[in-house]
Amino acid sequence: MRTPVTGSEILLESLHRQGVDVVFGLPGGAVLPLYDALYSHGIRHLLVRHEQAAAFAADGYARATGRPGVCLVTSGPGATNLLTGLTSALMDSIPVVALTGQVPAGLIGKDAFQEADTIGITLPATKQSFLAKSAAEIPDVIERAFRTAVSGRPGPVLVDLPKSVLMEKAAPPEYSSRRNGGGAARRREWRAEDVERAAEMMAASRQAVLYVGGGAITANAAQEVRELAELTRIPVTTTLMGLGAFPSAHPLSLGMLGMHGSYATNTAICECDLLVAIGARFDDRVTGRLADFATKARKIQIDVDPSEINKNVRVDLALVGDARETLRALIEALERRLPGPAHDGRSRWLERIESWRNQHPLAYDQYSSSLKPQYVIETLSRYADEDAIVAVDVGQHQMWAAQFWEFYQPRTWLSSSGLGAMGYGFPAAMGAQLAFPDRQVIAIVGDGGFQMTLNDLATVAQYHVPVKIAILNNRALGMVRQWQEIFFEKRYCDIDLSFAPDFAKLAESYGIRGARVEHRADVAGAVREFLSDREPRLIDFWVDPAENVYPIVPPGASLAEMVVEPPRALVEEEEVLDDLWAV
Amino acid sequence: MAGSNHVKWLAALDIDEDPITACRLMNIFRRKGMRIITLALAARPRGYSLIVLLDTPENQVEHLFNFLRRTEGVEHVTCYRHEPNQHASWVFIDAESPSVARFLDAFPGSRLVFAGEGKCLLEVPAPGDLGGVKSGFDHLEFMPLACVKTTRAPSDEGVGA
Repeated sequence: MRTPVTGSEILLESLHRQGVDVVFGLPGGAVLPLYDALYSHGIRHLLVRHEQAAAFAADGYARATGRPGVCLVTSGPGATNLLTGLTSALMDSIPVVALTGQVPAGLIGKDAFQEADTIGITLPATKQSFLAKSAAEIPDVIERAFRTAVSGRPGPVLVDLPKSVLMEKAAPPEYSSRRNGGGAARRREWRAEDVERAAEMMAASRQAVLYVGGGAITANAAQEVRELAELTRIPVTTTLMGLGAFPSAHPLSLGMLGMHGSYATNTAICECDLLVAIGARFDDRVTGRLADFATKARKIQIDVDPSEINKNVRVDLALVGDARETLRALIEALERRLPGPAHDGRSRWLERIESWRNQHPLAYDQYSSSLKPQYVIETLSRYADEDAIVAVDVGQHQMWAAQFWEFYQPRTWLSSSGLGAMGYGFPAAMGAQLAFPDRQVIAIVGDGGFQMTLNDLATVAQYHVPVKIAILNNRALGMVRQWQEIFFEKRYCDIDLSFAPDFAKLAESYGIRGARVEHRADVAGAVREFLSDREPRLIDFWVDPAENVYPIVPPGASLAEMVVEPPRALVEEEEVLDDLWAV
Repeated sequence: MAGSNHVKWLAALDIDEDPITACRLMNIFRRKGMRIITLALAARPRGYSLIVLLDTPENQVEHLFNFLRRTEGVEHVTCYRHEPNQHASWVFIDAESPSVARFLDAFPGSRLVFAGEGKCLLEVPAPGDLGGVKSGFDHLEFMPLACVKTTRAPSDEGVGA
C-alpha cells in the first residue's frame, strides 16, 4: 500500500510536472501546510514583500518566456492584493496561474479570519477560476488551470486552495502526462479560400501596412511577420504590446502607432489602402477617433480570439486562428502570386513614408541644458545587450522607451499596456530575471511607479537578483502633469512627487549599489558602469520635469490630428515650469 | 460602428456544472451593456442551460456571440435572431405548459428545444409559417426566431427540460 500524501505534496508535484521552476509568493496562515511541503521540495520560491509584486513578477516571467508564471499567496488580503496584477494579465492576455490559499472548507462562507470570496472578487479579472475541493482532484485542477492559461487567447487563471485540502491526505494520484507550458494548439476557423482572398488583397494593394500586436508575439510568429513583410515589401507598425515583434532597425519598420506613435506611422495609417492586423485588437490608444481610423483602407484581421473580430473596427476579411499558422499559410499563398502588378508601386509608398519620417522625426532637444529622458533611453539602449529584456512602468518614461529603445527580438519588452498599472516595471523585471538569470534585465521606471513597489528591493538584495533599475525621475506624476498642462489649462493638481527618498541612498540601504545622475555628460559613463556587471544596481536619473511626450493624439481626435511638437508658447514657458519644481 | 440599430436576439447556452460560469456570464451581460429582456436558467444532468433574450445594438451581435462562445465554461452557444417578417423556425414562448401542448398540436413536427422557469423554445419544422399562429394563442407572447449561428454540430440534439 502506497504511503498517503498530502494535498500540498500533490500540488507541488503537479506544479513540477507542469514544468514550474519558480514561484513568486508570500506565505500566510492558510498556506502554511503548502510552505511546509515547499521546505523540502525543489521548486524555487522567491519571497516578495507585497503580493502585488508576486503577480507582476509572475506576469514578467510569462511575457519573457511564453510559459505560465506562477504566484502563490495566502487567503484573504493576500489574494485580494493580486487583483491588479491579475487584471493586467487579463488585459494583455498573459498566462499567469495564481494559487491562493483559502480558509478550511468547513469555514468557507462563515466570515472566518482572513477569508475572502477570492473567486468572486477575481471573477472579472481572470480567464477561469477553480476551487480545489479535495486533495485527489488537485492534479486534474492544476492540469486544467495550466491548459486554460495557455490555450486559445492566454490569460490568468486562479486556483483557490482551502487549507483543509492542502492538509488532507490521499493516495498518491495518477498524474497527467500532459504538460501545458506554452504553445498550446489554437483552433483554426479560416478556410483555404479565405487565405487566398487575403493574399489577393495584399498582392493588389499599393499602400499597405502590417499592424502587429501582442498576439503575434504570443503566437511566436515574429519570424513569419518578418518573412511576410520582406516578401511583400509592406512596412510594419507595432502596438505597445507588439514591440519587439519586428526589429526596430529593419528598413520596413515603422515603429509604434497610435496616441504616441510617430508622425510617419500615423500618417501611413491614414493613407494606407490596406491594413493587415495581426494579433492586434484596434485598441482606442491605437485608433484615435474610430470614425476616422484608416478610412482609405480595406482591412484584414488575423486573431485567435473570434470576439475581437469587428469588435471596434469593421474589417473586410477575418482570419480566426493562430497567427503563426495563419501567416505561414498566407506567405505560401503570396509566394504563388508575387510579384504582382502593384509590387513596383510599393517603392513609391515607402518613399512617401520616408518623406514623412524626415518631415517630423521622433526628436527632442539635443542641446538643452536639462537632462532629457529620451537621451537616457537612447544611451541605455545603445549600451544594452541586443537580447536585453526591458521592463517598463507606466507613464511618460514608458512612451519614451517605446519610441527610443531599439528592439531586436520578441519577448524583450515587458509593459502593462492595456491596464497601465503603475508599479509593474520593477517586479516584472524581477520575474524576467529569474527566468533568464544570465541575460541583462533592465527596469526603466518612473519615480511615481517605482515608489509603489520599491519595497521589493529587499527581494532583489536577498536573492541577489541582478536587475538593473533605471529611474527616470522627474519628481512628478509626469503623464498626469502633461495632460493637466495640455488639456486642463495647466491647472496642476496633486502631481508633485518632490517629497521622495534619495533613491540611490535607499538602494544602498538595501545593499544595492545606487547612483544619481543629473547631467548629460555623466550619462554614458554611468550607463556603461551600470550595465557592466552581474550585480543589482540602481541609477536615479534626474530628468527634465517639463519634458512632454510627442507626438500626441488628443483624446477624441483622429490620428491625423496628432500634435507633433509642443506649441511655441509652451516652449517659451519652460523656465516657469522649471521654477515650479526647483528644489 | 456608432448609431447602430437595436435588435432582439436570443442566446441559448449550455454551460458547465461550476456555478462560477453562470456568475461569470451574468457579469458579462452586465459589463457589455446587454439589456436582458428575459432570462431562464435551468439545471441539466451535468451543468446548466441558460436562455436569454437580449436587446443590443445590431453591430454588436456578432462580437457578443463570439465573446460568449469563447468564454471558459461555456460548452455551446446558439444564437437566434428575431425575424418578425420572415419564416422562422423557432418560437420562444413565455407560457404555461398547457399552451405549449396546444402549440405542439397546432404544428405537428414541432419539438420542444428548451423549457425552464416558464420559458419554452420550440422548433417549428421549416419552412415555419407562423402567419396563423396567433389564432387561438392570442394571450401568448410570441417571438419568431431564426437560428443564425451555433457552435453545435448539426447532429447534436436539442436540450429538453
